[in-house]
Amino acid sequence: MADPHDAGHERDAASFGFGSDPLAGVVAVDMPDREESWIYKGVCHCGILGCGGAHPRGVEELIPGLWRSSSPGCGGAHPRAAEELIPGVWRSSSPGCGGAHPRGVEELILGAETEVFEITDFTTASEWERFVSKLEEVLNDWKLIGNLPRKPAPTKGEFTSGVWGEKSQDVSFADFKFSITHHYLEQEAEPETRTPQEDDVFPDALQDLLCTNNDFPPRAHCLVRWFGVRSFLVLAPGPNVEVISESKCNLLLSSVSIALQNSGCQVPVLVQVQQKWRRLYQGECQGPGVRTDFHMVHLHKVPAHHRNLSGLLDIFKSKMSSSLSPLPPINISIRFTYILQDWHQTSWPQQPPDFDAVFGGEVGGVEFGKVPFGACAEPISELHLAATWPHLTEGIIVDNDVYSELDPIQAPHWSVRIRTVDNAQCLLGDFLLEFFRLGQCSETLDDVLGRGLTEEEGKDADISSALQKLTQPSASVHMSKLSVSHMVHSARRHIRRRRYEESPLSHESLNAAVLFLFPDAATEKSSEQRCQTEPHPDPDSTQYLQLKASPPLSLTHRLALALAAVNHSQGGLRAVAHLWQEFVLELRYRWENNYLIHGLPSGAPDLRCCLLHQKLQMLNCCIQRKRSRDEAQSSAPRTSGSAPRTTSEGDTALWDSDSDDEFYECVSDLSESDRRRAEGGRPEGARPEGGSPSGGHRRPEGRLKQYQDLRLLQNNEPLYVPVTQEPSPMTEDMLEQQSEVLSKLGTSAEGAHLRARMQSACLLSDMEAFKAANPGCILEDFVRWYSPRDFVTESEDQAEDQAKDQARDQAEDQAEDRAEDRASGPQLRGQLSARMQIPGNMWLETWDTAKATPARRQRRLFDDTTEAEKVLHHLSLMKPSDLMLQLLPNLLLSALSKLTEEETVEDLPSVKKALAQASLQAGRLMHQQSLDLPLIEEFLLQLMTLETSITRARSLKTKFGVSRDSGEQREELLEFVNSLLEEPEVEVVGAGQGPAGHIIHQLFISSQRAALLSPVDSDVVSEADFRAPEQTVPDFPRPAGRELILRTCVPSPAPYSRSLPQRMFCVLLKDEVRLAAALSYDTAFF
Amino acid sequence: MDEDVLTTLKLLIIGESGVGKSSLLLRFTEDTFDPEQSATIGVDFKVKTVAIDGNRAKLAIWDTAGQERFRTLTPSYYRGAQGVILVYDVTKRDTFAKLDNWLNELETYTTRNDIVKMLVGNKIDQEDHEVDRNEGLKFARKHSMLFIEASAKTKDGVQCAFEELVEKILQTPGLWESEHQGQKVILGQQEQSQGGACGGYCSIP
Repeated sequence: MADPHDAGHERDAASFGFGSDPLAGVVAVDMPDREESWIYKGVCHCGILGCGGAHPRGVEELIPGLWRSSSPGCGGAHPRAAEELIPGVWRSSSPGCGGAHPRGVEELILGAETEVFEITDFTTASEWERFVSKLEEVLNDWKLIGNLPRKPAPTKGEFTSGVWGEKSQDVSFADFKFSITHHYLEQEAEPETRTPQEDDVFPDALQDLLCTNNDFPPRAHCLVRWFGVRSFLVLAPGPNVEVISESKCNLLLSSVSIALQNSGCQVPVLVQVQQKWRRLYQGECQGPGVRTDFHMVHLHKVPAHHRNLSGLLDIFKSKMSSSLSPLPPINISIRFTYILQDWHQTSWPQQPPDFDAVFGGEVGGVEFGKVPFGACAEPISELHLAATWPHLTEGIIVDNDVYSELDPIQAPHWSVRIRTVDNAQCLLGDFLLEFFRLGQCSETLDDVLGRGLTEEEGKDADISSALQKLTQPSASVHMSKLSVSHMVHSARRHIRRRRYEESPLSHESLNAAVLFLFPDAATEKSSEQRCQTEPHPDPDSTQYLQLKASPPLSLTHRLALALAAVNHSQGGLRAVAHLWQEFVLELRYRWENNYLIHGLPSGAPDLRCCLLHQKLQMLNCCIQRKRSRDEAQSSAPRTSGSAPRTTSEGDTALWDSDSDDEFYECVSDLSESDRRRAEGGRPEGARPEGGSPSGGHRRPEGRLKQYQDLRLLQNNEPLYVPVTQEPSPMTEDMLEQQSEVLSKLGTSAEGAHLRARMQSACLLSDMEAFKAANPGCILEDFVRWYSPRDFVTESEDQAEDQAKDQARDQAEDQAEDRAEDRASGPQLRGQLSARMQIPGNMWLETWDTAKATPARRQRRLFDDTTEAEKVLHHLSLMKPSDLMLQLLPNLLLSALSKLTEEETVEDLPSVKKALAQASLQAGRLMHQQSLDLPLIEEFLLQLMTLETSITRARSLKTKFGVSRDSGEQREELLEFVNSLLEEPEVEVVGAGQGPAGHIIHQLFISSQRAALLSPVDSDVVSEADFRAPEQTVPDFPRPAGRELILRTCVPSPAPYSRSLPQRMFCVLLKDEVRLAAALSYDTAFF
Repeated sequence: MDEDVLTTLKLLIIGESGVGKSSLLLRFTEDTFDPEQSATIGVDFKVKTVAIDGNRAKLAIWDTAGQERFRTLTPSYYRGAQGVILVYDVTKRDTFAKLDNWLNELETYTTRNDIVKMLVGNKIDQEDHEVDRNEGLKFARKHSMLFIEASAKTKDGVQCAFEELVEKILQTPGLWESEHQGQKVILGQQEQSQGGACGGYCSIP
């Protein structure tokens, strides 16, 4: 609606005075003309009047009321017609509908068959009538009425390969709920070749009855299987409702019949009757001059003479109420299904457990560092062999209750399907799921380990832990130092050991686990090269980053595997808690004794890895710092003056002893700072640091290296980069905290200032170090090193204020006096950038407060002691569920790589594809802020199905001897096995004579022999003995299922009727018989 | 006001010292220009709510210091950022030459690979350009970034740069949506094979 238009109408509307009650006007006036309605809409739309009904929707809702008032009754039976009429009324603005809406008129006629303008009364329509009309309506909606465009006859196998569509709608009969569903094979309509006079061509369904292209489809709706139709409607009772009584069944069938007749629908409709599990359907299909009834019989038992071909033929013939004789020959398709359940010949190729391993003797026991894989039991439960005789004619073959010529070996077609074990127990899946379930327990470590356990001293002291021996340093090097804390530590460990005597983890497995986690514990503890041996993950593998895990082979990764392993096979939760506690203890021991933690990438915590990994890295950083500090401390007295400290030896000793004492303290010591102040660290801004009152230059300290060839502006000394404190390593949770604190300061100027101040510690430290390293330096010097762009050289920018600082000019003069000292590089003339010159800016301010202090004497920016304790505390408080969440990514990483590895062995394209997808999915799952447990569980189950697929492939390959054979047969078999895994049913090339067929035959033979012969010598029968029992034992068991399709075309009901398709499908199982007949009748002259 | 905010986005401004990162941010958030903007220490932080295509998004923008020494601290703030603005000074070639380093750092420290990157050439109000617009364009194309030239002083391009970046983020699926709407796990054919039709030998119960 264009705006100007609208506005105009608004005005009009207002002037027309609709203001008070526009709706009243509408109903009464019935929209005199189009213009009027326009105005009304305009008013509604802008809603200036603010009245509730003034919304356009309000109008629409009113209309049905309007309609009903003018012609009551139609609403009930034909609500749809009514609805469709409304727009007509509205648009034509004529009260009585008139001829304005042709569709409406048609429907009125249909409903009442009276004059158009008459009021038709449907108010007395019964529920049944409504039901029928509802059915018709559905058929109408789905466009299933009349002659549908002809579809080509389905091609061979199209029922399986094609796409089946499904449409569903609920209908109700009074308050009885039904759902009507249309199942259809999606096909392209055949190009219009039909000539108009072929009007009475049979419906598709009748053609389908005779089509033999899709007998016994491997995967289809049961009605498709039974009746061979490619498009049909099913009317089934809603949930919890069943149609049992016969009269109700008949009522339903009648309704269907009427609806089909009324609508001219040629699609068969089947009604589900009786108990749902029986899958009993009845129905009919109507075509021009023909009707097909669909019947079904479902019994437990039938007399023996009806259980074979000849008996069934008799039934079929008697069912066809044709008086013609002799009857035309009947076409027969037969399929027998044999089931092989007993895999005696081949055993499931799961590798036997390694009895020498630590957890030997336990099937599925997991070695540390590996993830288990494979199924615990045979993953393939059954093999179904279907022997098919597709085209037989009555009389060609004999099958009666005494003799049968139907020998599966002779069958022209064989096809095989496998049945797999549902929820096959697989090791990897179990391993993952059990670990995942740790997440559901909310207990803490102490809860799990039971605080109540008494800590009384044990009986025999020589169970003293092997672990302790392992971790004991080989005395020599640090013994002097670590004696005390180590003693305490050992004692504590000793006590714990007692406590765990009845704990789930035995000493052996605990030792194995710890040794696996800390392989260096076995070797010499103090060796220095140890810390260099970092894990070398595959450089091109960054998958662990996608999962937010940790590098493969890193300690964290091994920890995940070890915990999962003890959880899986050594006592579950309690074992996990136990191992974790030992792990934390070991970490503490290492921290206290300055042993680096082995197997972690060095450097600051890698924020892309999982938090636990970061924490461990953090701890390592702490240990590293503490260690280097200790080393500096211990080496200082011996090596006089360490590298950065140069010059005057005289008072070195004094300085060193001084600094060593002071190193850990913050510089708050009064006398110390006083002394330094006396030394000349006068806080006077850009004043030169040199020229100290104590005469002579202050001795430079903490120099790292000369900075390019820059020289100090004031005294032309070379500019040195100071040794600075390294930035504090941070883990992501610390970082989050910090950024939260920083962001909480808000965005105001004060907030920003405070923020800068909080972060200036590093700047201050660097300034102090710089001052210490460069006596006589000024802020400009510092800036030239620290932020070179903030030092503007004169040549570039001369315009800036000249008369800045007298002192500096003087200093420069002084520097020029000593021009001959310059080694290289012209002395730059320049000044600070404008932003550095702002009075009171943070840089100036910090510079002023900075005292000349070398980094090693500064207060530590990073307090490794506190941080390490924090980490250890954090770790010791972690619940098993936290652990699970932290380590799951690592486990997934292992699981995925294991699956990939196993897949590569078997080479299964579909699994490969799914795995690639799974990797992506895992990445997505693991990067969520908070892990979504249900989704993860679902994902783990998916991984399990992948594992199962692989084990299935492996099992089948063994059974079919793919691994044994070689050459072209192998190729063929391999292809056969692969398609068995991917397709519902696979044809056996060459039936019983082909290579696969031969193997299947042998499988059946041995299974038969195993089942029927005495089991004594069944596995020592040699090839020679093989012949003898063969006579007595049939090669194949009795067929588990026999399916027969009988088809013919006979005139029915009278001999002079048209010849029409008849079909009966029979399936005979051990204790179930089902006959499904579709019998057609000519209705033209009968 | 907060309830109608669609999402909160974390943006990051990086680049060499003195290229005008803080000035750009100040211009965007407060529409002012302070010639005496002091050098940032560590990181600074500003918030602004913008409306893009009728969606209101709250921007938490982290402004970083460009100095070499601070760079050891700031990468921590890269974490979880959805968008990054990489600034250089069109009058100083070396700030442009260092862009590669910044991109490397970005690669190393960001936690997601679909982060939206924008390149901004700042200070175009000044006379002596050392970096041509085309060079910036080329660089941006090479690294699939958004590109714009701007001036925090004269306002040119600033608003546009931020808005463009936010729009792009909102258009990138999965980058900003709340985490709970994660898709279902579906592993290929497994699902399909269990369609509505019943299995082959279907009379066996």
